[in-house]
Order: sequence, then C-alpha cells, then structure tokens
Amino acid sequence: MSTISYRNVHKAFDHPVLSGVDLDIHEGEMFALFGPSGTGKSVLLKTTIDLITPDQGDVLIEGVSVYSGRDELVEAREKVGYVFQNAALFDSLNVFDNVSMGIPEKVLERQRAEVTARKVWDALELVNLEPRVVLPKLPSELSGGMRKRVGIARAIVGRPRILLWDEPTTGLDPVNTAAVERLIVRLSQELDVTSLVVTHDIEGGLMICDRVAMLDSGRLRFCGSPEEFRGSSDPLVQAFVDRAAAERALDLSEAAI
Amino acid sequence: MESRSLESRTYAPRTPVVRWLGGFGRVAELVLDHAGAMGMLAARVVMSIVQWRFSVRAFLRQVWVMGIESLPIVFVTGALAGIVTSQQGGYQMQGSMPSYVLGSLVVQTVVLEMGPVLTGIVLVGRVGARITAELGTMKVSEQIDAYHSLGRDPISILATPRVLAGIVTMPILVGFANIIGICAGMVAARLDSGLGFESFLYGARLFWHNWDLLYSFTKALVFGTAIPLISVHMGLRTKGGAEGVGRTTTDAVMFMLMTVLILDALFPPLLLN
Repeated sequence: MSTISYRNVHKAFDHPVLSGVDLDIHEGEMFALFGPSGTGKSVLLKTTIDLITPDQGDVLIEGVSVYSGRDELVEAREKVGYVFQNAALFDSLNVFDNVSMGIPEKVLERQRAEVTARKVWDALELVNLEPRVVLPKLPSELSGGMRKRVGIARAIVGRPRILLWDEPTTGLDPVNTAAVERLIVRLSQELDVTSLVVTHDIEGGLMICDRVAMLDSGRLRFCGSPEEFRGSSDPLVQAFVDRAAAERALDLSEAAI
Repeated sequence: MESRSLESRTYAPRTPVVRWLGGFGRVAELVLDHAGAMGMLAARVVMSIVQWRFSVRAFLRQVWVMGIESLPIVFVTGALAGIVTSQQGGYQMQGSMPSYVLGSLVVQTVVLEMGPVLTGIVLVGRVGARITAELGTMKVSEQIDAYHSLGRDPISILATPRVLAGIVTMPILVGFANIIGICAGMVAARLDSGLGFESFLYGARLFWHNWDLLYSFTKALVFGTAIPLISVHMGLRTKGGAEGVGRTTTDAVMFMLMTVLILDALFPPLLLN
C-alpha cells in the first residue's frame, strides 16, 4: 500500500495548475518532485493535507482519503509534518512555543510540561541547534538557516510518519544547503518516515532521494529512479540535469518566439 | 486596422445594457462573496466562544491593544467633538433660543452621534488596519497554513480574541468618549457662550431620555463587532505578498469606514423612531 496517493488531482486558479496528477509515494521512501517554476509542485504538496483543496481528484494517506471527512483530515494532519518554504514560524512566539505547536493539541493537553519541554529540546538537538541558546529567541532574532531548522524541528516534534518538504534549501547558501540535505536524509532514517521533497535543487534531490518525478504544466512528465532521470532522453528532463542542455533548450524556445 | 476592428468586435460588450448588467453582476457577486465569507467567519467565532476554544491571555492582550492603548486618541477625539459641537451650537443659537438648550444639544449630539461614530472611526484606523495588516502578513508568509498543518484552528487562535475584545472594549471606549465629550462641551460652553455649568446641566436634563444611552451603547456594540470582524476577514483573504498586504489593508479600511457610516445611517430609522 502506498503511503501517499494522488488520484487524478486537478486544481485551477486563474488558469489550470494541476491537470490530473496521479502519483504514489511508498512507505519509507524519499521522493523528490522537480519541475519548472509555476508548474504546481507546491500546490500538489499542499493538497496532501488540504491546505489547498483540489477541484477534482483525491489524496489518500495510508489508504484513507484526506477529503472524506473532518476526522480523516485531522488524522492525516497528525500523521504529517510539513516544512514550509520560508519556515512560516509564528512571529509573536518564541522558539519554544513555535516548536511545541508541532505537538498535537490533545497530546499537549494530556502530557506534563516537563515532557513537552523534553520533546522540544530533543527536536532542536535533532536539527543541530543548541536548545539552551535558541529556546527563548523570537524568529526575528534567528538567521535564515536557523529559522529553517526551527521549522523542521516543529515539523518533527510530533513524531509524524510522513514529512513534506516545500523547497527546504531555497534561499540558503551552499554550506547550509548541504547541511539541510544531510539533515533530511538523517531525519528520514532516524525517524523512519516517508519524505516527499519539492525542490529546485536537482543535484541535491537526485543525490538523496530513492525516486524522483517531474511535473510540467500541471502533469506528471517523468517518474522513476535518479539513474533513470539522469539517463532520460526527454529534452526537459535533460535540461534540468545538464546546464548546457538547459542553455540549448532556452535557445530553441527563444528561436521559436 | 482590420485586425483592430475585429478585436473590438470580439471583446466590446454589445450594448450599454449588457455592459451595465455585467458590471452589476460582478459587484453583486463580490458583495455576496464577502457577505457569505463573513457570515461563516462570524458563525465560527461564535462557536469557538460558546465552546470556550480561545486563549484568555490572547483576549486580554487584545483588550489592552484595542482598549487601553486607544484611550488617549479616544479622549482627544471625544473632547474635540464636544468642544466643536458646543461652539457651533452656541453660535447658531445666539439670541434665538434660551442658552440652556445648548446643554441638551451638546449631550444629545455627543451621546447619539459623535461619541460612537468618532470612536468607531478611530478604531478603524488604529485597530482595524493593524489587524488586517498583521493577519495579511501571516497569510502571505504561510503562517495561517502552518496553523492548519499543525491541526490548530486559526479562527479560535486569531479571530476570536480580536472580535471578542472589540465587542467588550468598544462600549467602554464610547462611554469614555461620551463623558469626556460632554465635559469638554460644558467647559467650552462656559468659555465661549458664558453658559454656567448648572444651566448647561439643566438643559441637558430637560430633553434627556435614558434610551439615548442605550442607543449609544448599542451602536458601540455593533461597531465593535463589525470592525474586528471585517478586519480579520480581509486579513485572512490577503494574497500577493507585501503589495497584497498593502492593497488589502487599504481596501479593509475603506470597507470598515463605509460599514460604520452605513450602519450609522440605519440606526435612527430602526431605533429612534
């Protein structure tokens, strides 16, 4: 059984963004989703837990439709940790309060304060942050890389079974990009989760993921292993693998204009 | 030239009536869309109040921001409203009416109209714009999505404390504005028209109805509900980055001002006649 299944997902805003996407992500898999800007990668990711509702189609998490009822949606959101592109930390809350928000409300109400503090502490250590230093800080007092790590800590503190990563390395310098990529691999292994990573960082994605897919104009254009992706004869896939091919593709499209 | 005429034939509305109907339809759709969304928002706020699903700490913080921090500007506007009414009234009544009638004029104008409306306008500028900009920024930076993804209800966390604080603080602010406006009007009447305090109060009592105070607080309650509700609604609909936040905040201020003024115009036929 697939952990996440997208079934004929359609979504349009002013124009069609997703036009019938079918995709299965298997248990324990690290899966990367590539594609040109504006092709609906983040929109597809957001349909997973109804942050954006599809116009048509369905999303199943561990075989249960996210859109079949309120209880199913609540359950799906408890199973999923979502890492936002720019961390999306709550400005008015310090790091402790931000991270503890990742623990489901009913668990938070039941457990003692020390247990919550321990979980937050452990989550921050898992993302290589020094809890003693960052816990009292506001998001505005953190660097971009630290904000991203706090966002990851918030996503993992509730021990989800699935992690959704929305462009986790965007806006980071090469050193931080490599560090976050290692973190994704380590967390996926240590926490034994299924990961779906939306990224523009092709090299990084190909290096760390078991399977990759490419979206183009709202449709799935490629789905396979990183090796198959590298060896694909599809010009768009080639353009993503190889900079020179990208230049050639650009020349061709400019000539066509 | 030919292609231009073809273009105009393709896109231009056929008749002015069709164009008018199209415009009317778009406006009606927009109004109904906002009204429906605000109705849903109000229902969810009421549900979270009834089920006590909001933070009292967040509510008290909003009471502080909306109430205590608004007091200085409410005092200034209330005082100026009383002074101006007293000066204008004194000038117009010169020699034509007994001077103690000025007391009634000032009190009635401040309590029935100036106190609630000016306080409402102050709340729009000081609090409504702030709420829209704050929630709009949270929306475009995906913080609202983050609440959803973490299984939290942004309405209970963000909207309910603000709407409830508006409902609680607005009547208190209007009460202060009324008192300060009457006192300032009384002092201005003495300085400007030479009307003694006792004569002023005699005139005020002569035409006073207890209903007027209830009317004033009813207005305050309605404005205090509408302003945070609209500002939250607009904030949560923001899209399009920093520019979108600016645009939505401007729209929200216009929307709130129009609502306050339209509701104000509806009050006399509904409650005074």
